[in-house]
Amino acid sequence: MGVIIGAVLLVGGVVLFVLYPIIQGQWATLHRTSDEGTEADARKRVSLLALRDVEMDFATGKLDEEDYRALQSELSHAALKAIQEVEVQQKVADLVGSTATGSEALEAEIAAVRVGIAEGRTCASCGHVNSAGSNFCASCGEPLGG
Amino acid sequence: MNKNHRFLIGLVGVTAVVTYLIWTGVSKTMVYYLTPTELLAQVIEDPTLHDLGLKVSGRVVRGSWVADETGGLEHHFRVEDLEDPSVSFPVVYRNLLPDTFNDSDEHVEVVVEGRFRQDGVFEATEVLTKCGSRYEAAPEAVT
Amino acid sequence: MTILGELALWIAFPVALFGTVLAFVGGRQQRGDLVLSAERAVYAVFGLLTLASAGIVAAFLGDRFEYWYVWNYSNRELDVFYKAAGLWAGQRGSLLFWVLLLAMFSVIAVFTNRKKNREFMPYVTGVLLTVITFFLCVLLFAEVNPFEQLPFAQADGRGLNPQLQNYWMTIHPPTLYLGFTAFTIPFAFAISALLTGRLDSRWLVIIRKWTLLSWFFLSVGVIFGMRWAYEELGWGGYWFWDPVENASLLPWLTATAFLHSVMIQENRGMLKVWNMGLVTLTWTLTIFATFLTRSGLIESVHSFATNSTIALIFLAFLGVTVSVSILLIIWRYDDLKAENEIQSFASREAAFLLNNLLLLGIAFAVFWGTIFPLIGEALTGKKVSVGPGFFNSVNAPLGMVLLGLMGVGPVIAWRRATKRNIKKNFFMPLGVGLGVFALLVALGSRQWMSLITFGLSAFVFTVIAVEFFKGTKARARIEGSAPPTALLHLVSRNRRRWGGYIVHVGIVMIFTAFAAASFKMELIQTLEPGESVTIESPFGHTYTLTYQGVSTALRTRNMEWQAQALLTVARNGKPVGSITTEKRMYLTYPAPVTEVGIRSTAFEDLYVILANAEDLGRALSNDAGGQRATFEVQINPLVGWIWYGGLMVAFGAMVGLWPSKGSLAEHRSKATPREATREPVGVTV
Repeated sequence: MGVIIGAVLLVGGVVLFVLYPIIQGQWATLHRTSDEGTEADARKRVSLLALRDVEMDFATGKLDEEDYRALQSELSHAALKAIQEVEVQQKVADLVGSTATGSEALEAEIAAVRVGIAEGRTCASCGHVNSAGSNFCASCGEPLGG
Repeated sequence: MNKNHRFLIGLVGVTAVVTYLIWTGVSKTMVYYLTPTELLAQVIEDPTLHDLGLKVSGRVVRGSWVADETGGLEHHFRVEDLEDPSVSFPVVYRNLLPDTFNDSDEHVEVVVEGRFRQDGVFEATEVLTKCGSRYEAAPEAVT
Repeated sequence: MTILGELALWIAFPVALFGTVLAFVGGRQQRGDLVLSAERAVYAVFGLLTLASAGIVAAFLGDRFEYWYVWNYSNRELDVFYKAAGLWAGQRGSLLFWVLLLAMFSVIAVFTNRKKNREFMPYVTGVLLTVITFFLCVLLFAEVNPFEQLPFAQADGRGLNPQLQNYWMTIHPPTLYLGFTAFTIPFAFAISALLTGRLDSRWLVIIRKWTLLSWFFLSVGVIFGMRWAYEELGWGGYWFWDPVENASLLPWLTATAFLHSVMIQENRGMLKVWNMGLVTLTWTLTIFATFLTRSGLIESVHSFATNSTIALIFLAFLGVTVSVSILLIIWRYDDLKAENEIQSFASREAAFLLNNLLLLGIAFAVFWGTIFPLIGEALTGKKVSVGPGFFNSVNAPLGMVLLGLMGVGPVIAWRRATKRNIKKNFFMPLGVGLGVFALLVALGSRQWMSLITFGLSAFVFTVIAVEFFKGTKARARIEGSAPPTALLHLVSRNRRRWGGYIVHVGIVMIFTAFAAASFKMELIQTLEPGESVTIESPFGHTYTLTYQGVSTALRTRNMEWQAQALLTVARNGKPVGSITTEKRMYLTYPAPVTEVGIRSTAFEDLYVILANAEDLGRALSNDAGGQRATFEVQINPLVGWIWYGGLMVAFGAMVGLWPSKGSLAEHRSKATPREATREPVGVTV
């Protein structure tokens, strides 16, 4: 008898526990949250780390002057590009505030396109927002007018 | 030259080396797995079997085990076929036997690995014992 | 308690199945409530499996011999410690234990991601629950239920195999299982990335720690296994290329490859398909290993009766998951294109790539050798197999190139290395390596493979030592701090890099130990009490062992008898202590068991085996005439370096695992709503 009661309690408890969100209509968010790094953040981070390593390698004497200059300029360029990209995104974020959902998200995207145009990165023929420093549109290949 | 070419050259190079190593490795170390009946029957038809690496599984013949310690340790015993105990052959082994090895009533199943000499004695380089599924959790006693 | 455990196992199955459906439907329809419910199912399954496992442990502790599993792996006299470990002593319990660990990791993954990475979570939950459901299905329906009862309760159990009554053997399987199950998390994220199409570097960032954690447990687990074999089974050997050992090595090899290639993707945006493939492959191999160790497929070819239901179920599951993964990768192929290309063969990318190819080459060779009996029989109809010779002859050359690469990787530049870069950094270490090699040749050794390995090890070690030395010096100069502080800061600023170097030092030590094995000395000698035997160490000195006799004990708690031989040891004639080795006859095991005697120093182990007491009957009755015994005496040079190297590997991996609070945090500090520029919108402005 004790076993049956235990079984019933166990099954009931488990079912209730699992189904609770559906019964109560509790929704978990399925969207990207604000503290996640974006792709641009990741690129920025990686290029800064690489830059730091190059600086360190130069300091330890593993790289000589000439190799160091070459690598450093290459990496600095990449890092700068990534940083600009991040900044653009943050500008956009500041424009719309930090809790955009639904129609606000759409506005944020429109704003992004605007900022892109202001910086000469939005393609005039297809509307794709290119990364900073692009000469041609990554989406349709048209030259960017600037 | 684009990246795919470079990648492919590396891939093809390493694959070729690995394939070569596996090929030679297999041809050098492959051993045939036989029962005592198969061994004794096939060796008559095909004497080259004397030169091949072999693994033979069977059962230790009751009371056949002699440990000869004069001039280094040397174990002599006979291995019989699991199905037909009348078929058996002598084995010599110059190393430590596994703890589970014996020639009592327990019918220890063994796998002997080595070469079957021209004089009809199996010179084992390795002797494994099998304790049956009761001790499934233990890997085969490795010697 | 036990009945409740069995009930919990039965409830866990439908809950996991239901949760799987909820997760996938919730992900597909973006229904947050269904996903939340599915995540709760993960928690519930973990709770239920904990109950079930507790039920098994309780049955062991309570000597409930009406359960087949308890009856088969325990007896009343067994140590409480080994009774509790009975959960993973055999196939049935260890499958339950496996899924319990998977559920534990799933709970950690779901819990730590309850507020972030939400896009991934529906499918991550779905994949995790799928794997859990599969294992529960096997447990309940493939005749391996650990709760199965015997028709009559037995008075006493059949006892645990004495070879498993060893400390290392008790912690070896759980450690490996932790490694196997932890890798399911990266796999789940990989599949989720493919399903959601979010294939930027985010999923790699999330799984970085998980892969390292899994790799840590796999490494430690493999080393524990070697240690066990060395003490208990191997009689001085530690690796036999046994199918079960190989199976645990395979995922380690591919996980190692992934840990390296992921750095190329992070730094250079290359090898995306390759990495996706490696994650899938590694996970598949963890399942394959579980399946191989616990189904007896390979052994079954030659010996054990196999549970073929399990073999078929596992093969089907592997077939389905591998096909689905490959299809998903093909489906997303366009999003996985490389952003950069390899510029030069003389670059770190190229070194990493070669490292990957070699590791996979080794993995393939090991896999091939392991399943060769199956292939051979299927193709030729003859029973064939390959021995340790095959694995050694294939893997030794590949392993040596890999070893050399460990010295090249750290100092060669990304993208392309100039001649000056190469000259500047390789001159000194190469000199040291060649010097060591030349010195050993001059000392008269002609074991070429070993000597080259020693030379390469010296080269790699020097490279890494110079890295640490120069790095610390530079850091000290920049910060103006004392060297120890500078070293600490150096490592903490880039844990992965310096942790990796520490791991490499450990691996170099292990390689050195492998190479030293060819200098092993051994002899077999029969002695009367008072007689001695002398063995020369490869390091030049000698050990003289004098046999003092056998002391015996009859009818101890769980042994029929115990015979312990005592030998005194003198090094170059000077007494340095004693060593004992024994034979034990357990009540529950049909054959005697040998306990070897080991005397370890930093450079060699003196290893003594009581081969056979000439006449144990007389020895047991303490008849002075019957104490003749045969011993095998070995000197295993540098064998301890495997264990020290293993510690080093574990330490390095922990450095990499330690949470970093660096200046360059992985998460962005400033809040932004979404990655707004990701998709263009069709608006005209």
